[in-house]
This record gives sequence, C-alpha cells and structure tokens, in this order.
Amino acid sequence: MTFTQDQSTVTEISPRELYARLLSAQPLFILDVRNEDEFKRTPVEGHATLRTLNVPYYDFIEDEEAALARLPKDVEEVVVICAKGGSSQYVAEVLNNHGYRAVSLSEGMIGWGNYYDVRDVTNAAWGRIVQIARPARGDLSFAIISDGQAALVDPLRHINVYRELIEGAGAKLTAILDTHVHADHISGGPALAKETGAPYYIHPYDAIHPIDMLPAVIAYEPLRDGQVFQIGQVRVTTIWYPGHTLGQVNFLAETPDGGRYLFTGDGIFLRSFGRPDLGGKGEAWTPILYRSMFERLPRYLTDDTMILPAHFSTLEEDAGNGIFAAPYKQVLAQNDSLKPRTLEEFTSYVLSHLPVFPPEYVEIKRVNIGLVEPCEGKANELELGKNICALAG
Amino acid sequence: MPHFDQTLDVKGAKCPMPLVKSRKAITELPVGKVLQVISTDRGSVADFQGWAKTAKNVELIAQETVQENGQELYVHYLRRTA
Repeated sequence: MTFTQDQSTVTEISPRELYARLLSAQPLFILDVRNEDEFKRTPVEGHATLRTLNVPYYDFIEDEEAALARLPKDVEEVVVICAKGGSSQYVAEVLNNHGYRAVSLSEGMIGWGNYYDVRDVTNAAWGRIVQIARPARGDLSFAIISDGQAALVDPLRHINVYRELIEGAGAKLTAILDTHVHADHISGGPALAKETGAPYYIHPYDAIHPIDMLPAVIAYEPLRDGQVFQIGQVRVTTIWYPGHTLGQVNFLAETPDGGRYLFTGDGIFLRSFGRPDLGGKGEAWTPILYRSMFERLPRYLTDDTMILPAHFSTLEEDAGNGIFAAPYKQVLAQNDSLKPRTLEEFTSYVLSHLPVFPPEYVEIKRVNIGLVEPCEGKANELELGKNICALAG
Repeated sequence: MPHFDQTLDVKGAKCPMPLVKSRKAITELPVGKVLQVISTDRGSVADFQGWAKTAKNVELIAQETVQENGQELYVHYLRRTA
C-alpha cells in the first residue's frame, strides 16, 4: 500500500453530511482512529443505531492485519474520523484496499467541533425563529427575526454564522441576549457587540465571577426582571430564573399568531435541567433553583409554550427535524426532574445526579466576562467535547 | 537531552506522517540505538505515547518541547528494543 499525502483517492464526508446521517438514525459505523484518551474524552455521539469503535491509526501503522481484525465484518460502510483529517484518510485508504467501503471525515474532529447547523424553528408572515446549533457540543442558540430587526439568544463563539444569517435575512441586529454567563462555552455576545454595535445584555448578578468574586470588564447592558424587547412584531420578556447561575434568565417570545417560545438557557432542558453547582456553591443555590423551577416557572408557562433550551444532551431529544424543542406539556411528561418534589427530595435528587465539575469551566467564565483573553488555539481547547451543564440522567 | 544516534526531521509534516516516517526509521536502526524525532505537530506528543505502549520494538525514552524561532518543536526519543 502506498500513501500519498497530497492526493488521495479516499472519498471524504463533510461535517454537514455526517450530521445529516447522525440525525437520520440510520445505522452508522464510525471508526475513530485517534488515541484512546482523545476518543474517550470527546467521542462522536448519535442515536442508538450508531456504532463506534476506537482503533488508533498507529495500530494500523504498527500491525495492519491485527488492526483490521478488530473491525466487524458486517459493516456496509465505515466513516473514519481522527483529530484533523489526515490519519483518517490514511486508515480509510487501508480499509478500501481490504474490501471495505470507507470514507474519511474532512477536517476531523476540529471541523466537526466547529460545525454549525442552522434551521428554522418557525417561519411565518411575522418573521422567523431560527435555531443555530453546534451539534458536537450539544450547544443551541437562536435568532428572532421580524420586520428587519433581529435579536440573538445565547450566540456561540463563531460569530460569522450569525452575521451571515442576519445579513442574509436583510435584518439589523438590535439586541444580543445571553440567558446567563456561560461556563461551558465561550459566548459570541461580546465580540458581536463590538463588531456590530448592538448592545450585549446579561443580568448584572452574572457579571461577577462567582468563584473569583471579580467584576466583568466587558461592556454590557444590565438586564432586569420583566424587561421587554420589541423585535419587529415579536415581544420578548425577560424573566429572572436564578439557580444555575444567580443571574440566569429566561426569555419569553410572543408572536402575533399567539405563539409562545421560551428560551430557557440552562434553566430547564428537554430531559434535564441546569446544575446549580457550577458557581461552587451548590448547596446554597439548590433551594434558589427549586423556587425558580417549581414556583416561578409554572406562572408563565402554558401547555403549548415551546421550550427552547441552550443545550441538548443526546440526539434522542431531536423533535424529528433537527430542532431541539418541545411544548411544555411534553417536556413535563418526559422530564423526570420536573416531577413534583419537596425541597428535601429535590436537594437529594440534585446532589445524587451531579456529574464531574470540569475544571476548565471556571476559566471559561473568566473569558466570558473579559477577565482573560484566550487565543484561538486556547479557545478551541477550552471548548473540547460536549457540554456538561445538565444533571446526569 | 538524552543521548541519541540518529535524527529524523519531520517538521511541517502532518499526522500521520511523523509516525509513519518514525516507524520506518526505527526499523532501519540497529537494535539498542536511539532515534530523535523533531516534529511541529502537537498531536504527536500523545500519539507517540500511545504508539510506544503497543508497538513491538519501540521504547519511548523521553519527550520534550523546545522553542525554535518562535515555533514549538515536539521532540521524541525512541529506542529500538528488538
């Protein structure tokens, strides 16, 4: 076998095609040829129909026959992935020479990690609500576009995606709304504000780093409970919802046709809710979260209010069209954490379901309020893998 | 810096080439000799560790990061053991 670095005969699959196939829930076989540590830290996840196997590319270099013997014989097609797309091409070529049908993911996990998926949640005469997802991380953000005006909710780090969307719609960005200061990913809000001049809104309680106790040095406008934004024909109301962070808010968008869309951030998710311990004060914040979830939230929710959170945990939460949203009635039925509990029951439920506290989350919060400024490489490193904002199931 | 007998310069080469070339160079080295590999690929640090764990006749003696003209070099020292 010969391997040429520059011209390969191996077919590539783009992150977009990979995502379409992951969403489709058709059987899919992924051969991840990164080293074992990287594979364990950031695997590609999908539906139950996805099979994934880790055989590092150097095992193919060391002993091709032994590495090939670890692959199942019954797979129709193998999608090979690595960190940057070079080694996966190498291994895909080995596989193709041995009778497998293999394709290589172009740009590897870096490309996959930075891939964005944009699709309409709703598109009506008054305008659109658009979901902008970063599927590898389970991150969701939204745009509200109406009558030439646009607002963004929880925009992610790669801000060109949003600029293109808004320019393509012929709209002007009038408000950048973060539901809270994020710990798991770098917000695109401050950078978008700097580039477009649109105001960046966060609740002032989140402008103080909860562990460092240092104030934000970025420019922001303080949100207050009940504050209303008019985006074209859409009325957006700010609702304070402390617990995951002290300044966490929900945004309720009401459309002229009677639609109600609640952007919950890391408040409630479709099948879980935002953990109260990322500020380092889980025991003190759990009762605050309890009051938000069981006393504040039901007051402004109707059965058919669409719940649009800032994260999904698995692709099983896809409503069937790549949209991670559901009416409140359905969320109530499928989200175990929303079942009625006393404060004591809720506290022990929370404490027994807390996943690991990723150490980089403290640093990401520093970045998001301007206390440190990472370079591109460092930013990529901080955002490796999927969010761990939800309680473990 | 450990003692070494031969140097392989794979600066600028992207994954998997640093490892492909190192495998070849080790095979051509007499048993017991040490190969120094100079790479600019950061991913090579973890990958050489993983490779040495499963490779038949390769021992990873040391790894170091050095600065050269503003860029980071990842240097690996590999001994052929059999």
